[in-house]
Amino acid sequence: MTSSVLPYLLLFGPLVGALAIFAVPVGTGPSRVVEALHVASITAVLALALVAGGTALAAGPISAFDHWLLIDPLAAIFIGLVGVVGFLTGLYSLGYIRHDVAHGLLTPARHKLYYGFFNLFLFTMLLAVTANNIVMMWVAIEATTLGSAFLVGIYGKRSSLEAAWKYVIICTVGVAFGLYGTVLTFANGSEVLADPEGAILWTTLVANARLLDPMLAKLAFVFVLIGFGTKAGIFPMHAWLPDAHSEAPSPVSALLSGVLLKCALFVIIRYYAITIQAVGPEFPQMLLLVLGFLSVGVASFLFFVQQDLKRKLAYSSVEHIGLILLGLGFGGPLGIGAALLHAVNHSFAKALLFCGSGNVLIKYGSRDLGTVKGLLRVAPVSGVLMMAGALALAGFPPFNVFVSEFMVFNAGLGAGWVWLTLASALLLTVTVAGFVQIVSGSVLGKAPESVRKGDVGVAALAPMVVLMALVLAFGFAVPGPVTTLVGRAAELVERGGKAAAEPPTVIYGLSTPLRVEAASR
Amino acid sequence: MSGFHLVNGLSGLLIVTSLLVITARRPFNSAVFYASQSFVLVLVFLALAGVTGSHELYTWSATALVTKVILVPVIMARVFGKLDDPKLGSGERISPALSVILAAVVVVLCFVVVSGVNLRTAEAVKPALAISLAHFFLGLACIVTQRNILKQVFGYCLMENGSHLTLALLAANAPELVEVGIATDAIFAVVVMAVLGTQIHRTLATLDADQLTTLKG
Repeated sequence: MTSSVLPYLLLFGPLVGALAIFAVPVGTGPSRVVEALHVASITAVLALALVAGGTALAAGPISAFDHWLLIDPLAAIFIGLVGVVGFLTGLYSLGYIRHDVAHGLLTPARHKLYYGFFNLFLFTMLLAVTANNIVMMWVAIEATTLGSAFLVGIYGKRSSLEAAWKYVIICTVGVAFGLYGTVLTFANGSEVLADPEGAILWTTLVANARLLDPMLAKLAFVFVLIGFGTKAGIFPMHAWLPDAHSEAPSPVSALLSGVLLKCALFVIIRYYAITIQAVGPEFPQMLLLVLGFLSVGVASFLFFVQQDLKRKLAYSSVEHIGLILLGLGFGGPLGIGAALLHAVNHSFAKALLFCGSGNVLIKYGSRDLGTVKGLLRVAPVSGVLMMAGALALAGFPPFNVFVSEFMVFNAGLGAGWVWLTLASALLLTVTVAGFVQIVSGSVLGKAPESVRKGDVGVAALAPMVVLMALVLAFGFAVPGPVTTLVGRAAELVERGGKAAAEPPTVIYGLSTPLRVEAASR
Repeated sequence: MSGFHLVNGLSGLLIVTSLLVITARRPFNSAVFYASQSFVLVLVFLALAGVTGSHELYTWSATALVTKVILVPVIMARVFGKLDDPKLGSGERISPALSVILAAVVVVLCFVVVSGVNLRTAEAVKPALAISLAHFFLGLACIVTQRNILKQVFGYCLMENGSHLTLALLAANAPELVEVGIATDAIFAVVVMAVLGTQIHRTLATLDADQLTTLKG
């Protein structure tokens, strides 16, 4: 493990950006200074996230602040997500928020608050995924709620305040359970380790997990799964999610669904690695499979019946989180690798669709699927992007979600969970029907006369085109560095501290899953 | 051993104060009771520090005194004192008597659960540990049984005090910075909730959680 200043730079960028934005005086219109600071901050996050990923890949894990911060392959994947999706939704915000200010939905003061909290939110998420200190990990996840609560309620309307309140109460209460899990794990570790204070570090815990008291380790995992699972939107703790996702400004919805849920999952995955070593894989896998299957099952039907576009997308997120849990629960390098890749793929596709829902709001001023008709005629580029995004999320090839869903199901069959896999696949057909509804009704169909034709500006479309390109690229062939990171991270989770120094490079993408399995043996 | 008796005895007092927080009629009074409860918590930390000789715990009691006995109650008393919803009434879903019985059941259950824990650190302070866990669930019960959203904030604070005590009992050797992080989160959580509560009161003219029903399905 090498020590580096990189984690500091990564964290200080958005934090300084947020503070600088808060310090800018409010004028009569949307401030250009605020927007320039915002763009500088998100660009720095993107660049440093990619450098961090590259360094972790080339030189091995990086640590800083007395090992409290850690960038290993697992962290690098999620840092990359924050960087890429944070940057693209940040860019998309520019046009979207200006539109909201122009139409009187937001005041110039709120315009500034939006960008300040946006960058603060990025900082808290980066802190969560770079944390090696388990209590700091908890502190960071709690901070993500506090940092994003105002973003959810920023419109100050009846419904958005209600959503923000539910979000804060449910998530702080949920995450409080996570603190119990954290404290139990620390107390468990400090009893058995030669250096009791070492039990605060994930790396130490996972390396010595076999010494832990199995009963307490199980109890801690249950607390962690309930606690951080609330934040990850796992059924039945998902109650805040559809409200917050639908009421937040669209770029924030994209960030919540694409990145925040994954940050909470990241913490669960860290504890999953400890628990596998402490009590064996059966216990945590059973819990993950049960919750994963329930999430897929319940969310797919709730998804189908929604009439509000953004609520629909929110339930789709619960479903995909369920799929990721299934992949983790099937276990093995293939299952865990599939889950990690699915986390990445879902982020890109869902961010694309939430930005698309933003375009719909700009054009129609409504999220009601009964009102939104004929997007393709009204705004052709937005229409094509929405259609492709919907097909991607429904799991059609050649898009990226298909690849990782296919891998999850393969892992399920490989692990002997035939009926569970078949049942989950069957439930996905309900989702396909729901997405067909969006495409046939809202993207195609006859546009209402009252809606003025003409697409939204290039500023809003460009980030979506990049997201679309990522969705396609990851569908055809996952880039080599990502493949390697996913392979190494899966190895790390499955084998804990005993991960080989140079694990085999696993090839995902269009190669057959059989080859993946063979390569990882 | 008397030090541990003191820790366990003082912890019992926490349950009494938290019942006062839950059953108080006005949020302002709840804030006062919450401050007194946090003072008891500080005493528990001091007693624990005296017995275990843990240097960190002295710092913890100092930070808890500043944040929980002074800062948070003052914020809540100032903000909540201005907000009122006459239509809401007491906002209780269950009567105070039932609350007390429920609390007793929770405490008994937590004693049963904690008796099964095998941790050397926890051996002498098992009653306090059971109470810290019970305290956490009492806070949760407060959130569920109170319709007044300001009371729900107190519920969160009770949960937080419970987990803080668990932390002190089981993880007193954790680095001080960790505790600072948790305390900062707790303060910001209360500030965020207070701001949102004020906005809800201004926009919706109610403090009743049952009125927050625009979003469904």
